[in-house]
Amino acid sequence: MASDFDRRRFIQAAGITGIAGLAGCTGGPEGSSDDGSSDDGSSDDGSSDDGSSDDGSDGSGSSDDGYNVGMVYALGGLGDESFNDAAQRGIIDAAEDFDVSYDESQPADAGEFSQFQRLYAESTDPDYDLVASIGFAQLDALTETAPDFPEQNFLLVDDQLDEPNVASYQFSEEEGSFLTGALAALLTQQSFSAGAGETNTDASRIGFVGGVDAPLIRKFQAGYEAGAAYVSEDVEVSTSYVGDFTDPSGGQEAALSMIGSDVDIIYHAAGGSGVGVFQAAQDEGRFAIGVDSDQSLTEDDFDDVILASMVKRVDRAVYESVENVVNGEFEGGSQVLLGLEEEGVSCVYGNAIGDDIPQEVKDEVDSVRDEIIAGNIDVPTDPDDV
Amino acid sequence: MRNPLSAVEIPVVDRFLGDGYVRNVVVMTFGSLALLALFGALFPESVAGDLSGAVFTGGMVAATARISAPIVLAALGGIFAEKSGVINIGLEGLLIISAFTSIYVAYVLGDAGILTGGNAQFVGFFAGVLASVLLAFVFGVVCIEYKADQIIAGLAVWLIALGLAPFLSTVFFGSVNTPGVGNIGWQYSAALVAVGTVVAWWTLDHTAFGTHLKAAGENPRALDTVGVSVSKIRHAGVILSGVFAGAGGSLLALGVGRFGGSGETMVQGKGFIAIVVYLFGNYNPLGALGAGTLFASLDALQTRLQQLGYGIPSSLVETIPYVVVIIVLAFVGRTRIPSAAGDHYETEE
Repeated sequence: MASDFDRRRFIQAAGITGIAGLAGCTGGPEGSSDDGSSDDGSSDDGSSDDGSSDDGSDGSGSSDDGYNVGMVYALGGLGDESFNDAAQRGIIDAAEDFDVSYDESQPADAGEFSQFQRLYAESTDPDYDLVASIGFAQLDALTETAPDFPEQNFLLVDDQLDEPNVASYQFSEEEGSFLTGALAALLTQQSFSAGAGETNTDASRIGFVGGVDAPLIRKFQAGYEAGAAYVSEDVEVSTSYVGDFTDPSGGQEAALSMIGSDVDIIYHAAGGSGVGVFQAAQDEGRFAIGVDSDQSLTEDDFDDVILASMVKRVDRAVYESVENVVNGEFEGGSQVLLGLEEEGVSCVYGNAIGDDIPQEVKDEVDSVRDEIIAGNIDVPTDPDDV
Repeated sequence: MRNPLSAVEIPVVDRFLGDGYVRNVVVMTFGSLALLALFGALFPESVAGDLSGAVFTGGMVAATARISAPIVLAALGGIFAEKSGVINIGLEGLLIISAFTSIYVAYVLGDAGILTGGNAQFVGFFAGVLASVLLAFVFGVVCIEYKADQIIAGLAVWLIALGLAPFLSTVFFGSVNTPGVGNIGWQYSAALVAVGTVVAWWTLDHTAFGTHLKAAGENPRALDTVGVSVSKIRHAGVILSGVFAGAGGSLLALGVGRFGGSGETMVQGKGFIAIVVYLFGNYNPLGALGAGTLFASLDALQTRLQQLGYGIPSSLVETIPYVVVIIVLAFVGRTRIPSAAGDHYETEE
């Protein structure tokens, strides 16, 4: 039986090697070799060398083959039609306008943030001029990584880190969410129908579906609830958290259960889980409000139920910091807060059904916006303060 | 510890549930529901009233059916594999690969204009099952013919699918998440769970094949002695696990109409919950149905509990299904693993 034993040993060894190889693959293909090539045509064009002729004078100053940016995306990955895709638009635009090439990685879990950050920071071929860490969940990893590479420029989106080589961009999500809350509260009290949805006239209830119960997402919830309370005392807000940004069926369950209890407009801040919210709204003939990107465009299958989106200009944060690097104006340690006034957040009406929203509702939302910018409304960042 | 519930006699159910343990699970589930309904009706303003309001709604049934489908079906598959003597911990991988394949095929058919809507989803469903069967077959060959360690091979199945599905999605769609193909109703999930459970129960307990399958897992030598090939029976068990898990994975993805592939993918460990579910149900399909439905209904309930707004942190509420399953497992848990499960069988001719 000795030979048989050897064969088993061999298969086990081969199996383990195979597993190790595949485990590497899960992070690998998106991580190291991909140059944004498989994403869409525009990114290819942008990241190729065309840009160097346009901006040759800018680019040639410090580097022989342009600038390199390493993108470490948030959990949820590209194709979430939301947060990460917004960040990707920023780097695609920057690649078109400047002599910039970029590399993208999509961490599969929080443990890989530090791995990819270090990968880019340590790399000498190419030498990355900026490592963009997208998403609040990367704060802990970056807190460890940034001091180890004092010469490396980092960008952190959605949280702040006080390090001399990190530029932090944050958004006043609560201000944008305040507007969507006001919009939803105004509409749920009326008899309104557009596209595939209509409001429920039996009750004035609106809903919020969050991805993970974290301080950042609670800012969305706080603004939404406060906005609803600002326009009417009679509107109830139901809240539910999916527990994950990558669970569309969980988002669907949360939304369906809300609709079952007379909720007619649901705002989500749940990344990739949010498509489940749209699906539920469409199946049940209710409305949804998108987040981060204009989701009536990015999720156009659902544009007949997406009233509006709370657009967060993650792309602008990425674009600006790349621009700063290219112009030699990158300021480590800077902390930028983009709110309604800076147009870092805004409430954008849906592409297909936005025009059906009554003008007086839009006027009221506009006046709320002006009040916030004027500083007359104190927008809470924690739902407990609503 | 003698379970007090075993003394309770229920005339009709007892005939179907010979296993006293499975009966306990069923009795406890329905007993708690009845108690809740009673208290809810008596004190509509209290917490019990809120709870029963959340439990006894139409959406609850639909949600339970959708959530339970991948778990129960994968658990039924796991029962077939393990009863035949092959421990299949790769159920998670089978769910992932079938979830992706069903959406991919439905999308490609729809995109090419060959089939649309429901028909594309229908073909996608079977494509998902086929993908799962193929992966299960490879697993079976490695475990049965080449006598690989079943745990390592099962982990490999999971990791292969976990790497392959998001990778293929990136190749075909440019991102780990696929575009949508439209979703199917919860009725399909409910129907397949019911049919699958009955078929599994009937096959295991009332057919010669079921007897052979159990013999392959309990006493393969006896089966060999009467002239039935242990390998063939075990292959059949593993392939059946692929069929059931594939149906579950396809239903999961088609239930929301897309595949999400980042992190642990949209399957989110449901294959591992399925393993717990069939152990909890003591390898009985009806027990797996009960345990899977219990878990799914608690999961549907926690979403509703969050909306009641009691001020309990939602991250805590999200853990309710897991905590309850662990508690119930600790109180009524009694599982007997097939005695030859995990062992290789060498025929001596």
